Amino acid sequence: MMMLDVQGINVYYGAIHALKGISFHLNEGEIVALIGANGAGKSTSLSAISRVISTRSGAIFYKGESIINTPPQDIVTRRIIQVPEGRRIFPRMSVVENLEMGAYIHNDRGKIEKNMEAMFARFPRLRERRKQLGGTLSGGEQQMLAIARGLMAEPELLLLDEPSMGLAPIIVEQIFDIIQDINQHGTSILLVEQNAQMALSIANRGYVLETGRVVLEGSADDLLDNPHVQEAYLGGGG
Amino acid sequence: MNNLHIQKSAKNGLVFAVIIIFLALIGFTVTAASMIQKVFGVEVSVGTMPKYSALIAFLAFIGLWNGWRAAKQTEEHPLQAGHAILAGLASGFVTGLFALGYSLIVGTLQSNGVNVRVYLSSLSPESIIYFLFGQSPLSGGFIQLSLSTVSAAFGALLVIFWDRSQHQFLIWKQKLSAWGNASWPAKLRRNVFVGYIAMGVVLLLLVILPRTWGSYWNYVMGTVGIYVLLGIGLNIIVGYSGQLVLGYVAFFAIGAYSFALVTAPEPHNLNWNFWIAILVAVVASAISGVLIGLPILRLRGDYLAIVTLGFGEIIRILIKSDLLKEITLGPRGIRNIAGPTLFGKSFSSDSDFMYLIILAVLLSIFLARRWQESRIGRAWLAISQDETVAQATGVDTYKYKLLALAIGAAFAGLGGAIFASRNQFTGPEDHVLMVSINVLCLVIVGGMGSIPGVILGAFALKGLPEILRELESYRLLVFGALLVLMMIVRPEGLWPATRPKYEENSPPPVTVEGGSR
Ligand SMILES: Nc1ncnc2c1ncn2[C@@H]1O[C@H](COP(=O)(O)OP(=O)(O)O)[C@@H](O)[C@H]1O
Ligand SMILES: [Mg+2]
Repeated sequence: MMMLDVQGINVYYGAIHALKGISFHLNEGEIVALIGANGAGKSTSLSAISRVISTRSGAIFYKGESIINTPPQDIVTRRIIQVPEGRRIFPRMSVVENLEMGAYIHNDRGKIEKNMEAMFARFPRLRERRKQLGGTLSGGEQQMLAIARGLMAEPELLLLDEPSMGLAPIIVEQIFDIIQDINQHGTSILLVEQNAQMALSIANRGYVLETGRVVLEGSADDLLDNPHVQEAYLGGGG
Repeated sequence: MNNLHIQKSAKNGLVFAVIIIFLALIGFTVTAASMIQKVFGVEVSVGTMPKYSALIAFLAFIGLWNGWRAAKQTEEHPLQAGHAILAGLASGFVTGLFALGYSLIVGTLQSNGVNVRVYLSSLSPESIIYFLFGQSPLSGGFIQLSLSTVSAAFGALLVIFWDRSQHQFLIWKQKLSAWGNASWPAKLRRNVFVGYIAMGVVLLLLVILPRTWGSYWNYVMGTVGIYVLLGIGLNIIVGYSGQLVLGYVAFFAIGAYSFALVTAPEPHNLNWNFWIAILVAVVASAISGVLIGLPILRLRGDYLAIVTLGFGEIIRILIKSDLLKEITLGPRGIRNIAGPTLFGKSFSSDSDFMYLIILAVLLSIFLARRWQESRIGRAWLAISQDETVAQATGVDTYKYKLLALAIGAAFAGLGGAIFASRNQFTGPEDHVLMVSINVLCLVIVGGMGSIPGVILGAFALKGLPEILRELESYRLLVFGALLVLMMIVRPEGLWPATRPKYEENSPPPVTVEGGSR
């Protein structure tokens, strides 16, 4: 079943035409990768879905309903959660407080406690550092906290923006394992990555973005074999 | 000691030359000398200059500081005495040379009958002669030169002593803190009753003092109290929700004027009850906060600051303008504003007002605390740290920013109403940009987001200048100096905000010796 359907959206930053009629979709249960170079419009696409930035034209449907006029806080209550790029945790809040912020839309104290316990089980490092301020965590821990904070809202669709950015390969490996695991527990994932190899290795399908346009789409395996993708995103030889 | 060191020292000397010449040009040397003389209990009679020894003390202090900095700049470990003194001498000499040059120029102008006062209002003939120690420009300049050089050398010596005694000092400090943790002060601090007793004493003082310390102190402390009120309000906007609003005085003005208009006999002759009028002022300010916030709160950072800055001025100009003259009486202001009544009796002596202000401050502290610790406070905290992410976690950022602005404005309205009522007058000049800057300064100086910080900041920035009357005309300079000092000494503010619910432990220290904390 089609969960998210983005149809020909246009986004401008002032005079800059960042998204030039982009269309893509995601079926329930899938991991879909958006790959592309810096500045291609990947983050903008996610922000358009979470409605943090507005689109000038085009349509976005979530579970068959248009969400183009839905304000960002209501997007969150519909369980579409964006984990912004660059490990944007709240630096002057403790780990626990960051997680509580993730559950801001929920009021059920017991459920919040239960979810937090689940996060600590999934990310033991965070339990060790629960009282530490977010800003004092290491890069990998911050990324885990950002993802955990996103999960606290119990997302049905998770928008992940470059979770591997600036992290050591071994930590990237861990994080991608976690992403796969989250997906297997029933959360659909739209994954934005510059690291095309990693992204396509766990995705079902993928889209290649270049300067605000979708230039290629297909199953992850097809994209991995595509000469253009190999040339431009997988370092030539593949 | 090589060329680089000499160069560094000369640069340091240059900085101090600029400082001294600047202070001399604005006449601060005379003020500082008078203050020093007063500290030693000798009044300066009106129209005369303080004693030369006071000037020497002031210049020597700057010289010591000069030498201190110069010697520190060598960055040697351990510091070599010869190098340090040489650095101090060089720096002091450079400063002295400039002071000499300044003396020659200003002294010659003065003796040739040029009236420099035309250009620099505080550079009176007396102050120039005073700066030259009553000598000719040349000998006065040489006194400056030698004073600067010698005191800087002593400053350098101080660094050497400091350097040598540091080790000893550290041992002492450790002993002291070990004693402090083991003995009664620490136990006292841990005892919950002590908190209550301290609170009781403060409350008792708040009840007794307004009756006993006279109208002057009631006036000074009342002003401080009103600024605490304003500080707490602005702190909600700037400290909690992180929106840099510069035109805060607008809400103060709206509060003062709406209070004035409904209570004063002129121009509308409404003569409303004090307490109802206060309510009107608070509500009017809060509504204006919402109305202004609606269009501009989508702006961020600098834009918001500039737009709100403009708004503050627009309100003042509107009040003053012919356009609203019928309503606000224009530049003349509104007179005979009513004081409070309680059960039909007048409640407007200076101590009554002090009680009123204390009550208002306590109420605002209580409310601010409540809000800060609530869900709203959490949303503000998130917005102040990262607005986009706050939005991404489902916080309606626009709504909460608007709420912060409305609450902050309401506090300003309360402050404005009390202010107008206490003075029985309010005019456009009560609501100048400087009020906004003062309040912002005290929030920053006290420690952004912290209520005790706001109180300390208000005392430091509104109480102190009132007590040190001399400094009145140098308030801006003192502001500047204080702000710079703060950035260096306590970058987080006098009493930084902490949220005691969670410890702020950074990663454990790498080495722990002795195992005690
Ligand atoms: N806040 C902004 N203001 C102006 N231009 C922006 C802004 N954010 C992104 N852009 C521009 O939009 C384009 C797409 O950016 P982005 O979506 O961040 O790309 P990606 O995430 O793929 O690196 C780029 O040309 C970028 O310069
Ligand atoms: Mg991006």
